[in-house]
Amino acid sequence: MFIESFKVESPNVKYTENEIHSVYGYETTEVVHENRNGSYQWIVKPKTVKYDFKTDTRVPKLGVMLVGWGGNNGSTLTAGVIANKEGISWATKDGVQQANYFGSLTQASSIRVGSYNGEEIYAPFKSLLPMVNPDEVVFGGWDISDMNLADAMARARVLDIDLQKQLRPYMERMVPLPGVYDPDFIAANQGSRANSVIKGTKKEQVDHIIKDMREFKEKNKVDNVVVLWTANTERYSDVVVGLNDTMENLLASVEKNESEISPSTLYAIACVLEGIPFINGSPQNTFVPGLIELAVSRNCLIGGDDFKSGQTKMKSVLVDFLVGAGIKPTSIVSYNHLGNNDGMNLSAPQTFRSKEISKSNVVDDMVASNGILFEPGEHPDHVVVIKYVPYVADSKRAMDEYTSEIFMGGKNTIVMHNTCEDSLLAAPIILDLVLLAELSTRIQFKAEGEGKFHSFHPVATILSYLTKAPLVPPGTPVVNALSKQRAMLENILRACVGLAPENNMILEYK
Amino acid sequence: MFIESFKVESPNVKYTDNEIHSVYDYQTTELVHESKNGAYQWTVKPKTVKYEFKTDTQVPKLGVMLVGWGGNNGSTLTAGVIANREGISWATKEKVQQANYFGSLTQASSIRVGSFNGEEIYAPFKSLLPMVNPEEIVFGGWDISDMNLADAMGRAKVLDIDLQKQLRPFMEHMVPLPGIYDPDFIAANQGSRANHLIKGTKKEQLDQVIKDIRDFKAKNKVDKVVVLWTANTERYSNVVAGLNDTTENLMSSLDKNEAEISPSTLYAIACVLENIPFINGSPQNTFVPGLIELAIKRNSLIGGDDFKSGQTKMKSVLVDFLVGAGIKPTSIVSYNHLGNNDGMNLSAPQTFRSKEISKSNVVDDMVASNGILFESGEHPDHVVVIKYVPYVGDSKRAMDEYTSEIFMGGKNTIVMHNTCEDSLLAAPIILDLVLLAELTTRIELKSENEGKFHSFHPVATLLSYLSKAPLVPPGTPVVNALSKQRAMLENILRACVGLAPENNMILEYK
Repeated sequence: MFIESFKVESPNVKYTENEIHSVYGYETTEVVHENRNGSYQWIVKPKTVKYDFKTDTRVPKLGVMLVGWGGNNGSTLTAGVIANKEGISWATKDGVQQANYFGSLTQASSIRVGSYNGEEIYAPFKSLLPMVNPDEVVFGGWDISDMNLADAMARARVLDIDLQKQLRPYMERMVPLPGVYDPDFIAANQGSRANSVIKGTKKEQVDHIIKDMREFKEKNKVDNVVVLWTANTERYSDVVVGLNDTMENLLASVEKNESEISPSTLYAIACVLEGIPFINGSPQNTFVPGLIELAVSRNCLIGGDDFKSGQTKMKSVLVDFLVGAGIKPTSIVSYNHLGNNDGMNLSAPQTFRSKEISKSNVVDDMVASNGILFEPGEHPDHVVVIKYVPYVADSKRAMDEYTSEIFMGGKNTIVMHNTCEDSLLAAPIILDLVLLAELSTRIQFKAEGEGKFHSFHPVATILSYLTKAPLVPPGTPVVNALSKQRAMLENILRACVGLAPENNMILEYK
Repeated sequence: MFIESFKVESPNVKYTDNEIHSVYDYQTTELVHESKNGAYQWTVKPKTVKYEFKTDTQVPKLGVMLVGWGGNNGSTLTAGVIANREGISWATKEKVQQANYFGSLTQASSIRVGSFNGEEIYAPFKSLLPMVNPEEIVFGGWDISDMNLADAMGRAKVLDIDLQKQLRPFMEHMVPLPGIYDPDFIAANQGSRANHLIKGTKKEQLDQVIKDIRDFKAKNKVDKVVVLWTANTERYSNVVAGLNDTTENLMSSLDKNEAEISPSTLYAIACVLENIPFINGSPQNTFVPGLIELAIKRNSLIGGDDFKSGQTKMKSVLVDFLVGAGIKPTSIVSYNHLGNNDGMNLSAPQTFRSKEISKSNVVDDMVASNGILFESGEHPDHVVVIKYVPYVGDSKRAMDEYTSEIFMGGKNTIVMHNTCEDSLLAAPIILDLVLLAELTTRIELKSENEGKFHSFHPVATLLSYLSKAPLVPPGTPVVNALSKQRAMLENILRACVGLAPENNMILEYK
């Protein structure tokens, strides 16, 4: 059975007017390696750490500023939210299509809350904690192209024509602010689109962005702003000692107008200085060490990298399944072809390289988890190819071949063809990222050893489910397996509202 | 890092000479639906139920009797275990291949135990609790074909020829006992193979099976026996009031030699009467209501149905992933072609029907879990086709097309070709089933409300991960999503040894 909402009743949870306060027993282990009876043994000591969580339940009016607002993702997301808000439907040959939020974890997936009269009870994911309603988000942002959002939607060629017609009046007056453009960081082929740029030195550009954000906030009377990069994939920046390796060096480099500081890092600096959450939806290393240090010192949320929406999402499911079943993936070859602006940009080798890196590391943690299948240092062959094929446009085609070793020398080959409507898969991911980032900033907690409540570490690991190359605090394990990422996120939100992690045991029936 | 083994140290866990005793807090919820302030609300009350688990750590010498021992699965499993035990390796054009247990959850997969110096620590799945070592199992069983196991291995055409040669001396003296043959229940094309039969009435056949089991146990000096059906898929038996709906009726039908009592049900009755665990690896309804009642009354373990090893296993991963991501599967079409004896048997419509049923229900629970995507009663179109193609032998080909609805009317199509070496995938599953069934019989539990320790419910839900159509106690939810089934099993074994469920939160780093 599916229920719309629920409240938790427990001595460990208190709902006040503005807050949910939960006292939580976090189950973990301490692992030690000790000499017992003359030989070294691994000892696992279960440990319960008491945590307190405080979630501010006052949902703010949220403004979302997208870098690359006029791109396929930006225009599709904006259009989709308006269509949902206005209850727009459109005719297709198959029938009348309603607007929806399919593909969004927060808006369209569910969680299990328990059993009732022998029936399993589920509720919407978003019913766990109060979150921003997408229909009330104010969108804005920057773009190096001056096209208004209605024309941008058409340029994207993603949404049905009848829907585009109905949306035009809502979107034709939305014009992105000029963006930061640096031809050294993206493909030369993007030059023809760049007619709306912020001039000046890098320092002046950072100041300009800050001004833009302040004005946007003021003009739209929003309480909070979140900024997300969904613009072109850039090439990697070199990480150089003295240039961008520390906060001090990074800011000094901006003052000196150093060429190796990328546009995406400039936006990130601006956001961190303003205490505005910044999320990187592309694979480049926006978050150079100096930027991470700055974010940590300012306690400003940063998250990324690279939306995980299609081929790599599938990979992080499949490889986890195979290794979890004791099967050994030995060769993974992933081909993609797409024809949208992202594809055109990625046809340049330096920007493709950023993508190759983010898509290739995704199986590392799963391989490292199984020493029966893989020797230390052993890993599957893994190759990624991306080709630009204008004709297929936004309808990306992913073709994968997974070869694995099974019992007694046998082989298993899985070949997959996956038609991924690129922007239709990514737009809901963007929505999830901004909503979850905003929610994160309303949660404070403390462990039993700590005196004061504090926010999560500014590097937002709980956004891992939505990214190909999850950015994590130094020393934190990177988790790519999709079901583990989903469990991480769900179980932390459950903790905030006094619910234990979902253990799937249904022991009552055994 | 991967460690070989560990011990748990905790005030809640006691290791004695013969036992592991754990006191465990099971976290669950109680749901109520009541009127609060004039409106009906759902309230979720977290609940901790104290359980105690006692696991007998004395691992028995185990005998496994397979019904259909001379088939592809039976001969492959027997061969594989011998090869591992003897450390046999064989030359292929690519390399020297070692024997292994890849594809076995118990032998080749891992679990996370915690962090050590910032590194994630994993251990083998089997290190959780003491389990039978596959290499110490004594195999035996029945077959309607009198072929010895070495010749049967040749007939199966599964294992490399050099390996078969090396195994011959170990296997040529293994001859299955005569089996029960009823041409009405399987394809007519199996008739040519049936030269080795237990004669007599059904009651006489049952008594022979019981005698066979006792003789096997005595002759091989094994402490325990587990029986598993890996013979031909039968057609469904009609469930008829008065015939097989209660234990009394079933036993009386047996005495009356009623035609509708299948061979597989006869074996199951024999096992239950002898308190020997019986597992059904095929899709037919061996476990008619009268049989289930008998098993419960005798507290004898039964499990099944139908090994989940290839196409459906993948499906129970994919559909769970899609629905969990808020994406709506709308059409699932699964084609299979295979050329082994299973394929030949399934080319008869009545036996195919058993398979169609077990393969088609696998998405039901995942669909029911998400009321945002699916209206009540709404479900994806789901079609299964199986064709007999002699040439491909044991190398089953699965071809699937999954169509889903995504954001704003978009569609996602996944097409998959999966080369599943049928017996090489199924044999390790059989091993897992018998090992886990045996382990289950050594675990007793009681919840805080209960006075005495008792075994798990005889219908072994824990084996769900390994079955396409999990048999569950009446009123128990059926869980097909693979990651949930794996979590169920792992977390219950963790509970036995005092470890909390894996929550993936890694809160320490946040």
